[in-house]
Order: sequence, then structure tokens, then C-alpha cells
Amino acid sequence: MRVALTIALLFIALGCAWLFVAHPWWFPAGVSAQAAALDHEFKVAFLLLGSLFIAGQIALAFFLLRSRRNGNALYHRGDWRFEIAWTLAIAALFFWFNVSGEKLWSRMMLHQPDADAVQIEVTGAQFQWYFRYSGADGVFGRTDAQKFARPEEGNPLGIDPADPVGHDDIVSAALVLPEDSDVELILRAQDVIHSVFIPAMRFKQDAVPGMSIHAHVRPIATGNYEIACAELCGTGHYRMRAPVRVLSQEQFAAWLNAQEKAKE
Amino acid sequence: MSLSSSSTSTHAGKSFLRRYLFSTDHKIIGVQYFFLSLAAALTGALLSLLMRIHLVWPKAALPFLGPMKPEDYLGFLTIHGTVMVFFVLSTLPQSGLGTYFLPLQLGAREMAFPALNMAGFWTTLVSFLVLMAALLAPGGASIAGWTQYAPLSAIATAGPGQGLGTDLWLVSIGLFCLGTMMSAIGFIATTVNRRAPGMRWMRMPLPCWAWFVTAILILLAFSLLLLALVLLLLDRHAGTSFFVPAGLVVSGKAVEHSGGSPLLWQHLFWFFGHPEVYIAILPAMGITSHLLSVFSRKPVFGYKAMVAAILAIGVLGFMVWGHHMFVSGMNPYGGFAFSSLTTAIAVPSAIKVFNWLGTIYGGRIRFSTPMLFSIGFVSLFITGGLTGPLLAQPALDAYLHDTYFVVAHFHLIMGMAGLFAIFAATYFWFPKMFGRMMNERLGALHFWITLAGAYAIFMPMHLLGAAGHPRRYSELTGVQYVATTAPLQVFITVAAVVTVGGQAVFLLNLFWSMYKGPKAGANPWDCSTLEWKDAGFDDRTPTVEHGPYEYSVPGAEKDFVAQDAPGNRIT
Amino acid sequence: MPITGEHVDVERKPKLGGGGPGKIPHRRGFGGGDDGDRDRFHDFHSRKARLHRLRVGMALCIVSVAGVFACLTLVFLLRRQIGPWDPARKTWVSDWGRLTLPYLMLWVNSAALLLSSGTLELARRRMQRQMEFADLGILPFRTQRDFPWLGLTVLLGFGFLGGQLMVWNHFRLQGAFVHTHPSSSFFLIFTGLHAIHLLGGLLALIYAAGGNWMQIRFDSQVLAVEVTAWYWHFMAVLWVAIFALLYFVR
Repeated sequence: MRVALTIALLFIALGCAWLFVAHPWWFPAGVSAQAAALDHEFKVAFLLLGSLFIAGQIALAFFLLRSRRNGNALYHRGDWRFEIAWTLAIAALFFWFNVSGEKLWSRMMLHQPDADAVQIEVTGAQFQWYFRYSGADGVFGRTDAQKFARPEEGNPLGIDPADPVGHDDIVSAALVLPEDSDVELILRAQDVIHSVFIPAMRFKQDAVPGMSIHAHVRPIATGNYEIACAELCGTGHYRMRAPVRVLSQEQFAAWLNAQEKAKE
Repeated sequence: MSLSSSSTSTHAGKSFLRRYLFSTDHKIIGVQYFFLSLAAALTGALLSLLMRIHLVWPKAALPFLGPMKPEDYLGFLTIHGTVMVFFVLSTLPQSGLGTYFLPLQLGAREMAFPALNMAGFWTTLVSFLVLMAALLAPGGASIAGWTQYAPLSAIATAGPGQGLGTDLWLVSIGLFCLGTMMSAIGFIATTVNRRAPGMRWMRMPLPCWAWFVTAILILLAFSLLLLALVLLLLDRHAGTSFFVPAGLVVSGKAVEHSGGSPLLWQHLFWFFGHPEVYIAILPAMGITSHLLSVFSRKPVFGYKAMVAAILAIGVLGFMVWGHHMFVSGMNPYGGFAFSSLTTAIAVPSAIKVFNWLGTIYGGRIRFSTPMLFSIGFVSLFITGGLTGPLLAQPALDAYLHDTYFVVAHFHLIMGMAGLFAIFAATYFWFPKMFGRMMNERLGALHFWITLAGAYAIFMPMHLLGAAGHPRRYSELTGVQYVATTAPLQVFITVAAVVTVGGQAVFLLNLFWSMYKGPKAGANPWDCSTLEWKDAGFDDRTPTVEHGPYEYSVPGAEKDFVAQDAPGNRIT
Repeated sequence: MPITGEHVDVERKPKLGGGGPGKIPHRRGFGGGDDGDRDRFHDFHSRKARLHRLRVGMALCIVSVAGVFACLTLVFLLRRQIGPWDPARKTWVSDWGRLTLPYLMLWVNSAALLLSSGTLELARRRMQRQMEFADLGILPFRTQRDFPWLGLTVLLGFGFLGGQLMVWNHFRLQGAFVHTHPSSSFFLIFTGLHAIHLLGGLLALIYAAGGNWMQIRFDSQVLAVEVTAWYWHFMAVLWVAIFALLYFVR
């Protein structure tokens, strides 16, 4: 049993390590400005915690293998010097790790997007995402979902028809973003909590009803990606997706124009 | 025979009902809790299998159930989470084993407030039945998950199961709060007041410390959950607006609430919910510490550090709830505080791991089944615990939040580790509870199946999380990149079916041994603590002379010194 | 000499505490669900231990209830700051609502509750003294004829609850229901939760006061009063705190 356990624990340590090294399923390639720093932090985390994991399992296996077969066990009730040394060491290690994470968090959250960032209002409703662009005037029209929301009439967000600035607002079912430009997302929800998750951009933020949450992201590569809803919102949660298209800045301007034309 | 001055209680003269059903005897109540949790665990495991099968083969028609719909999946998900967290992980190690063994280990004649203790069990049982009734409610069980985030949980039209199913869920958990608090009051009063003479605080076995601290957590956390449940019920039925904001349109209809905050529910829920995970794991830690010492035939390494770590975890457990809310729209500055505090709580956990390894080191290990499961616990605790500091980082958690990575993390550290401690404790205390031994060969087989299963099911989930697979998806077909993970999901489902099927070995062993197992001696594991005292101590309260873990004392005649053995004090 | 009661010691066989060969321990020995109810009641020490245990239990209940109300207060203060979010003006709109409290009724209720706290304290001290005398064998081991302070407490308690019902009715007539606005929600939840908790204490007092008819042992009665007194005083303090909160933060 001693040997079997040792082999099993070694197998677990190596097998899990292999799983993370070979990673047949893994992070999608990062296509936002914050992805590189985040991926680096992930790498640090997996290296640090992975080595602690392997060390822990191997220590466990080794101590089991060293189990005495003759004579009494060691009569030893612990040693404060070891205890304190280990506590300080692990506290210092975790503290360092935590500080590096906090720095990353402050870089991600505590800086303002560029003043000319494109503003897009993202609204979640069971089980559909709507993306609103402010149009030529750069101002969103007033909305009141309770009074005006008619998804079947092409006004799912309930844009107030009496508000002139709302007339040129574009509502899209796909999130179209310009490359290499800050985008400010204003997250709202009509019914329950949803969450905008764009794995390729390492972006996740809940959309909470009754709140408008501002977040920003900066795509750095053109292509097609996906939003998946990441907060349980009801029976259709699993299919609450939306396509994300990152276009070059010229293409993005052309797309916006085309949308406005189509609206008129 | 001579009557002692202290005890005159007896079963004699009580009817069958008073003796076995409505008994105030802590041993009966402990066994009742044990079987309640066993039923709950089987229910939860069965539901998890149904979910796994629906996830990978959504079209499959199941026997008796037919094809499952997404709302069935979500309803099962809610009940699976609730049953496992509340009725298995919080009930079995704490209320079940604790009610049975806390007084025995402390040398108390009985729990304080035995009638309250009994009321606690019956309330918990009713609560469980109400929860099961939710499965049969029209529309099915609540689909909002065990966290019941408002406004999904607050609005009856937000989905099937959000009507009666959710009401039953709320009532069930409300009853559970009351029941478990009744039991917790008895735990604290027993520990404070009914310890045997000489059982000083620093001579208490570690499970007692864990049960004591957990009871305090229960008392504080569950009372606040009860308040939150009352407010949510009022939102649902009295028209108040605590959690529902203005201007909502649900299923095409305007909702008449105004001014509530969905984040308020999350704060209230997680202020309970995070201590709750320590309520689940602290007794498991205490039990494992105990067993590692017993089967290594060594004193616990750093007993005082272990006690300090339990207390530190108990205190810090109340300060970290915000780490569930990094992307909830909470102020990002909150992320800094909660992240640091969460990383801080990893330190006492690391101390415990270090001390477990220290306890094993240099031991003369007896590889009996309880020890195998304790070793499995340590291995799983390391594995599941180390993703904790990672998830404590708000930036990294923002990506992994609500993905399978989190599912893997808490299933390994709370579910699997907790379950391993429960199994270890069952094999260990079975001879005390039922007078017979469990079969060692079947026990070892059970251990290997479960260990392999735990790693095979939950390790791959880390990769799913890294790939950005959100949790609580009832099918893989909705999102394209999620659909690419199907082969791995199939593997996990197969592993889950095999592992849950393997638990038949445990059930067989349990019920066979209950009737046919070899009869156990008074102290089959050569333990030093009071619950194994040869002739019991119903007529004579023992006087405690030594610490709880005096194994392999040099010069002693046996390799353990019982806590109440006469002789020079050792600790 | 102390009166010996109808307490009977049951003759038993020696038992194994458990784990004995083939014995199913929960069928024998140890732990019969006895929390001192069957102890000999002239046993001063066991009674004292029981009182101590009950007091610990009561302290825990009080901590737990206080936690609930502290948390509710926090929610109350937070909710006051926010209301529906107005995205156009980027600010919270207050929907708090205003309540005019019926002060006369509330002051009378408060007076009744505080008074009941005083009468309960008198009842507790007298019963305690009787217990001491009974221990010394000076008085018989049962409740003495005395001014019914306990009954008065129960009456005042019911008076308070009746008064609260009148307050709620007052709001009903005003059209302020639990769903009308946050202010009325919180008022009714605070007072309602307090009333429910008070009712628990009242039941315990009725148990103690009706002890003679229900044939509860004298020492159990004294214990019930001793322990409930803590709870009752706590309820009075809690009421003062709630009243102050609702008075100053409207």
C-alpha cells in the first residue's frame, strides 16, 4: 500500500503537470491590449502554484514511503522554528504574488479610456445581446424599456421615439469593434444579471439591471470572436452568445456609415 | 449496582418512538443525521450524473425522465448544489459526526440542550423534504442555482421553476438555517460547559476545536442568511424592493419594483456564503488532522499552530466574501481589499498542510482505509487549494470567474476533500457507531476508485476553464468555442458515471458491515481519545490527564496513552 | 428538610459505553438526552451548571439576533442612500418615502416594554430568593404566594404587542403598506421582526408563569425566568435601539 500510494501520488503530480504543459484545451490567443500582461500573470501563477503543487504531492509521497516498519514512530510534537519559518516563507511568497496581481488589477481597472474612445452600449436581455452605437451625433437617445421596448418592431431597447438624439442610434446584434482603438462599453441589462465574456479579449464584466457599468477594452487584431454569457440568466443561458467582429479602423467607419444609410 | 451522582438517565422505560425516532440521545441524533446526509449525497450524485449526461448528449432520452430540457438541467443544478453544500457538506461532518462524537470526545455525558438538538434534526429533515418537493413543483425546481442571484430569483416570471420551485427552495433553506443554528447552539454550549474535568481547551482533540469554531460560524452566518431569505421572500410576495431595481422588463412584461439593488443580495448571500465553505471544510480538516495522527501513531505536528490556524480561518472567513464579486459591478477598489484578505486566508491553510505533512513524517503508518482517505484528503486539499491564490487575484479571476476553472477549484477543495474526510470518518467511527468493522479490502477498492475519479473528473475542468467555458451551460451547442470542448466533456461524463457507480462498493460495504461485519473491540484503532474508552463513561465521568495525541510516547507500555490514563501528566 | 419529589431512579444493568464486542453502542449506555432535567433537584451544583449552560445558550441566541438586526440596520442605511439609478442625470433618485410615526402610541408601547423589563427583574429576584430559601430548607420547594410580578410582565408584554398591532393598523389606514415605499418596508420589517422575537420570549415567560398549572418543577421555573430575563432585557434594549434608529433616521 505504501508503494502503491507513492506511485499514485507521483503519477498524480506528473499527470497533472503534463495536463497543464500539454494543455490540449487552453486560452484562446489574446487579441486585446490587456491580454499580454494577463497571460504573463497566468504563466507566473501556473509556474508558482504548479511547483508548490508538485512539491506538496511529492513530499506527501516521500513521507509515506519513509513510513517506519519497525519500532515506534518518532515522538515529535512539532517545532516552532519550522512552523514560523514555513509560515513566513509562504506568507512572503503569497504576498509577493498578491501584490503582482493587484498591480495588474489597477492597470486594468483604474485607467481611463482615451477621450475619443468609441462608446457602445451593451444590453443583455433574456437571451440576446444588443449593441447600440450612438450614431453621427455621438449621443445616445433616452431609453425606457418598460414603455417602449418592442423587440418585434425593431426597438428592443425601448429607445424613446420622442427623443431626437435617439433617431440615429444604431442597434446591432453583433459587437463590431475598431482595431487599435479604445472602446468604452456601457453595460446594462433589461431583466436579470448577464455577463459579457469575450475570452479572446480576456474581458468579463457583469451587466446588472438597474446599473450602467462602464468598462473598456482595446482590440489589437482583426477577426471574428464570440461573446458568451457568463452569469446564469435562465433557461437560454447556454445559447446567449453574440458574434464579435474586430475591423480595421477604415472598415469600421465604413460599417458605421453603411448602418446609418440602412437606417435611413 | 451503585448509582452515580451524576447520571440517572436511561433508555429503559421509553417507547420505541422515544428511543429511536424522537430521541434526544445525541448518538441516535448523530446516526439520524448520518442517514439523512447519505440520502442527500446519493440524491446529489444522481442529479449530477443526469446533468453530465444531458450536457454531452442533450438529445438522449433517459429512463423514466425522457429527454431533459435546459430548465431540467438548471433545476437539477440548483438542487445538486444546495443538497451537496447544505445537506451533505455542512450537515454530515458538523451536525452528524459532531453531534455523535463531540460529547464523547469531550467526555460530556450528553449534548447541552438535547431537546433543542433533536428539534434541530427534525427541522433539517423537514427542510430536506421541502427541497425535494421543489423538484416536483410545477415548472420544476428553481433554475437560479444555489446562489439564487436576484433578480432572477426574485421574479416569478423570469423562468420556469422561478415560481413555486423557488419559494420552496427559500422555505427549505430558511428551515435549514433554523435547524442548523439550533444544533450549533448546543455545540458551543457543550464545548464551553460540558467538558470533562481536566479537559482543558488545549487538550481538546482537533475535531472538537473544528466543530466548536464551525458552530460559531454557523450561528453568525446562517442567521444573516435567514434575514436575506426573508427579504427575498418579501420581494417576491409582499411587493417590497430590496433586490429588484426599477425599469425591468421580464418576458415582455414590465416589473413593478423600484429601487432595489441586485448587488445587495450578492453581498448578503456571500457574507453568509463564504463562511459557509469553511463551515463545510473546517470539520473535515479537524477530522483529518485527528486521523493522520492516529494512523501515523504520532502526535499531531504543531497542535497549537493547528488550533491557531482553525481560529484564523474562522475569523478571516468573514472578511473575504467580496472575492466572489470581482466582476459583479462592485467598486474596483473593493477588489484590492478582498484580494489581499483572500490571499491571507491561504496562509493558515498552508500551515495546516505543512502540519499534516509534519504529522506523517517519521510515522509508523497503518494504511487502514480511514488513513487512505485522509491521505487522499491531503492530496486533494493541496490540489484544490493551490488554485485559491490564483482565483484570489481579481485580474485573473475576472477571466476565470464563472468558468469551469472555478467549478474544478471548489469541487476539489470543498466537495472532494470534504467527501474524503467524510469517508475517512465513516470508516474510522463505524465500529463505534455500529459495533462492527467495515471491510478493509472493499474500503481500499473504494478509495482507489474515488481517488482516481476525483482527479479524472475535476483536473480536466481546469482546462475547460482556461478555454473560457462558462459554467451552468446546459448544452454545448449554443456557443461555437464551447462546442469544441465536447470530447473533454464526454471524458468527464464517463469518469463521473464510473466514479459514482463505484460508490456502490461503499454502500455495499456500509450496509453489509452493519449486519455482518466482524465485531469490533472497544478500541479497534488503538486511539487515545475518550470516545474509545473501554467501558464508556456513562457512570463515571472520566478525568482527563493528558493531551489528545500521545502516540508512541517513549517508555510507555503501549504505543498510545489514553487521555484519561492515570499517570504523570504528559501535556 | 427539602421536599423530595416524584423523581425515581430507574434500576439499570451495567452498560458498556460503546464499541464493546458486537454491542451497538447507541442502544446502550451514555447519553440519554438528559440535560439535567432528571438530576435530583436539591443538587445545587448540577442546577448551577444547568443555569450556566442555559445562559451560554441564551447569550448565543442574543448574539445571533443582534447580528440579524445589525445587518438589517446596515441594509437600511445603505438602502437609504440609493434608489433607482437615473442614467440621464447619472445620479440616484430617492424613492425613500416619508412616514409620520404615531409617536404617542410608540411612546406608550415603549413605556410598557421598559416597565415589563423592570417587573421581570423584580420577579426574577424574588424567585431567586425563594430558591435560596428552599435550598436552605426554610421554604417549601415550590412557587410561593407573592405579588404576581411575572403575570404582570406577561400582561405588559401582550400590551406591547397589542400596541404594535395598533401602530400597524394606523399605517394600514394611512395607506402605508410593506410595499408602499422603502421607508414603510423597513419600519414594518424592523417592528415585525422585533415582535416575532418578543413573542418567543413571551412564550417562555408564559411557560414559567404557568408552571404551577403545568406541574413544572420549581427549579425549572426559576431557570426559565433567570434565562428569559436576559432575553427580555435584550428585547427592551433592542426596541429602544430600533425606535431611536427609526426616530433619527427617517
